[in-house]
Order: sequence, then C-alpha cells, then structure tokens
Amino acid sequence: MTVLGVLRLLAPALIPSWNFFDVIADSPRVEYARLPAPDAETEAWREFRPRPQRVSPATMAGRLLWNARWNESLFVTSCAERLLAAPGAHSEDEIFHRIAADLADGADAGDGWLSFRIVLLSQQPDAIDREIAFVAPPRRLSDIPVR
Amino acid sequence: MTFEIASRLTEIFLCLAFLQQGVEHLRRFRDERRLFLARSALCLLVISGVGAPWPLVGLALLSLATLVRFQGPYNGGSDRMGLLALWCLAISHLLPTQAWREVVFGYLGAQLTLSYFISGWVKIVNPDWRAGIALQQVFRFSAYPVSEGLRRWADRPRVLRMMSWAVMLFELAFPLTLVSQASLAAGLTVAALFHLANACLFGLNRFFWTWVATYPAILWLQDRLF
Repeated sequence: MTVLGVLRLLAPALIPSWNFFDVIADSPRVEYARLPAPDAETEAWREFRPRPQRVSPATMAGRLLWNARWNESLFVTSCAERLLAAPGAHSEDEIFHRIAADLADGADAGDGWLSFRIVLLSQQPDAIDREIAFVAPPRRLSDIPVR
Repeated sequence: MTFEIASRLTEIFLCLAFLQQGVEHLRRFRDERRLFLARSALCLLVISGVGAPWPLVGLALLSLATLVRFQGPYNGGSDRMGLLALWCLAISHLLPTQAWREVVFGYLGAQLTLSYFISGWVKIVNPDWRAGIALQQVFRFSAYPVSEGLRRWADRPRVLRMMSWAVMLFELAFPLTLVSQASLAAGLTVAALFHLANACLFGLNRFFWTWVATYPAILWLQDRLF
C-alpha cells in the first residue's frame, strides 16, 4: 500500500465527520452455507452468529471488559457494508476467514466448500424487506486460513 | 487541571482502553495477535512512563499498520476517536513549543465537543429522528441490538420519540456545558452514562472506554478557555 493510501485511511480519524447514525441505512446480515461442491445449489443458508433471544444485565456488564466476539461480529458487518459499497478482496477474505474460523472452532468443521451471502434488511411500510445483495463465489474450506 | 496532568491522564486512560481492546484480539488470529501484543507492550511502556515520548510515537506508527491490516478502523467510530487521541498526544509531545503543544491537545478537546454537537445536529435535521422513526429502525432491524428481545423496544414509539429528543437535545446542548467546571462535570457524567447505555444495549463497549479516556482533554480545555 502506498503512503497516500495509508494517509487516506488515517485522514477520517484526524478530521472526523462525527455523523453517527445520521441516516438509518439498510442493514446487512451475513449468511453462510456449506456446499459439497463449488457448483452445488443450496437453500440451507444459516445466519452468521445470530443474536441470542436475551442477554442478562450481568452479561452486559461483563461485556464492558470482554466483548471480543461481538466486536468481531461488528467488524464482519463493516466488511459486508464495504463489500457492497466497493467490492474488494480484503472484505471478502475477512468474512470467509472469520466464518471458517467459527466452523473450525465448533462441531461444524470438516471438508467441503463454503459460500456466504449478504442479505440487506430494509424498512418497508408494513414489514422488513430482505434482499440478497451479494453472493460470494464458494471457496474450499481447507484453503481458508483459520488461525 | 494543568496541561501536563491532563495530557498524562489522557495517555494513561487511552492506553488502558487500548489494553482492553488488545486482550480481545489475542484469542484469535496469529497476525492480529502479533500486532496487538506489540501494541499492548507499547501501552505498558506509556503507562509506566519509560522512554517517553517514544512509546507513544511508536503506538502512533503502529496504528498505521493496524489501519492497513483491517483496511480502515476495526470498530468504526470508537477506533477513529482512539486514533485521533493517539495522534494528538504523539504530535503534541514532539512539538517544540508549549503553545503549539496546547493547540494540538486543545484540538482533541474541541473534537470531543464536536463529536456530540455534530452527532446531535445531523440527527435533528432528519425528520425520521425528530419523529422517533430512526430509533425505531435501529431497534427493529439494525445490526446493533445485542439480543432479539431488545427489538421489542421498536414497538414503543412514544418512548423512542422521547429518547430520540433527549439524545438530540443533550448532544446539541453539550458545548454549553463548557461555561463552567461544574456544568462540564455534569455534562460529562450524562455523556458517560449515554455511552454506558450504548455499551449495554448495542455492545459498543469500545466507545465507552475511548470517549471517557479523552475527558481530561476537555476538562483541561475548559479550564484554559474560561
């Protein structure tokens, strides 16, 4: 990356805009699917880290000091937003990387292929609309670094 | 509060906030672990006061590597405030005269004030915020609520409209708290509680620690100006 590129990343921090939540934009959700082959069709999409039904006050307090998983989920959401705004390898790699790491940590590890998609949620007059905004080309799970 | 004390307190609080963030990165990927171990070591040097100001300068330079690693901030606004505070402190230390050091440190205090005022302004000019609809949308479908149960708050439009106006008016009025030390202390207490609520409801714990870390800068600025 060039010096100019690094300065472009730093500049919004040194001259901030502070326009937090000025507009509530459509909200991305990342869903993933395990595939037996790269060209396999699937409807078995699962939400990446769905929220729990309830979080206790004690857990909320504890997360003031340890909130690694949630902050990583927010980073994945940022990557999804970046991917929709300006498609690039970095954001796609990061999302694959973190989904595969979760799979490797759990009972869902194994061979095969992995794909993810980004579903955009938006407010319509009577309901929340879901639109598939991006589908990542599948990658072989064993090719994705998880450590 | 003297410039030296305010600057030193900001350094220490910021490094404690960085240490909290750093620990969260140590559990995962090898490259992140290396980056954040180095950052944590520099934070400990800053807190202990050893070799000042070079560990702080090192942290500023390392922040560039972190930006490149994540192609921007890892956690949006909170990381940006952390970067702003870090670079203001590092530059302030390297400047040759006290006047310029105060200008750069004062810039941090001014930006903290603007962070509230501009956030309030961009909301109040939006009709959805004034009607409470924007906050309803935050609860109903945004990525932020930490549990599905919290989404039920979207069904309380009157409460959310009141909350929206409370947030907007507080943010817009924040610069007025600079008129006295007592009013600023009250304003910062309310602001800290606001960040605490955001940490609990939306999981934004980094905002809480990073913003609180910069409070000595605005306490000093108020003392310097009024």
